[in-house]
Amino acid sequence: MHIPDAFIPITQGIVYWIIALVFIALALRWARKEMTEEKIPLVAVLAAGIFAIQAFNIPVTMGTSGHLVGGALVAIILGSPFAAVFILPMVLVIQGVVFGDGGITTMGANIINMGVIGGFVGFYSFRGLVTVTRNQSASIFLAACLACFIPALAAAVEMYFAGTFPLVPGLISMGLYHAAIGLIEGFITVAAVNLIATARPDVVSLPQAVSI
Amino acid sequence: METKSFIIIGIGIAVLIGLLAVFFASGDPDGLESTALVIQGDKTLTGDTPPNAEVKEDIPGRFSYESPLPDYTLGTEWGKPGEAIAIIAGVFLAFIAVFGASILATKLKKKNPPAREGL
Repeated sequence: MHIPDAFIPITQGIVYWIIALVFIALALRWARKEMTEEKIPLVAVLAAGIFAIQAFNIPVTMGTSGHLVGGALVAIILGSPFAAVFILPMVLVIQGVVFGDGGITTMGANIINMGVIGGFVGFYSFRGLVTVTRNQSASIFLAACLACFIPALAAAVEMYFAGTFPLVPGLISMGLYHAAIGLIEGFITVAAVNLIATARPDVVSLPQAVSI
Repeated sequence: METKSFIIIGIGIAVLIGLLAVFFASGDPDGLESTALVIQGDKTLTGDTPPNAEVKEDIPGRFSYESPLPDYTLGTEWGKPGEAIAIIAGVFLAFIAVFGASILATKLKKKNPPAREGL
């Protein structure tokens, strides 16, 4: 889902960068308020893990592969969408600047899609679903699926504004492929959340009194 | 689990995923690239990707940047070991960058605590 430089005109890229910087500033404010010395190892390990899973393209049939985004995982584990906006941009900068995965001028759009939209959709859909269903794993699964699917639709709309993809074919194609990728994201996010919550329950922010 | 063990196991899992990516990652295009190929007419929506299909990224007037380690490699002459080194370097870079930023955030909190209201 990493948009390369060629896919968005520079002027539009600047607009996405400005929006992304606003959210990064809010995420820094979150970090200043919520970050504790106990949480730092978890946050840094999550960043390392997200870098690795985003480099691992898994086949999803239809001649397509996909990697996990990780925004939902971070937001659910750390109890705030701003946690995703804090971690994902640093991972995306390393991927873009050092490894050429995603563009420089399009990095703002990538931060918005994977960090902001991924984090907010993942967090709030999880909190909403878990309140209704009282089933933590099912809620994490669906939230992670949505946190892969919705950013892909956002990317398709950005591609439309950029004149790179026509709107409806772009939405259908991006939606179909990332719905398939989202299922994998859902399963792995459930496993990762449960694993981390078992290893470090003291630093994980999950709602209480729900079934796993 | 103790913090030191958590970090070692966490980094170990990240490195393992990275190494698995080097040897087992799919060569098929990702969702965005597949969409670009569909739009270009080089791929059908649900069909396989032709081996010679390539996403057109050479658009005049658009920014272009050459990264030092493109596609998570040290260059073709390094082969798979080069890819493994690149991925492991990336895992540690991500860990160090976020660890450093997090420490900075806690230090700023101690120095200048944020207002109670807010996010």
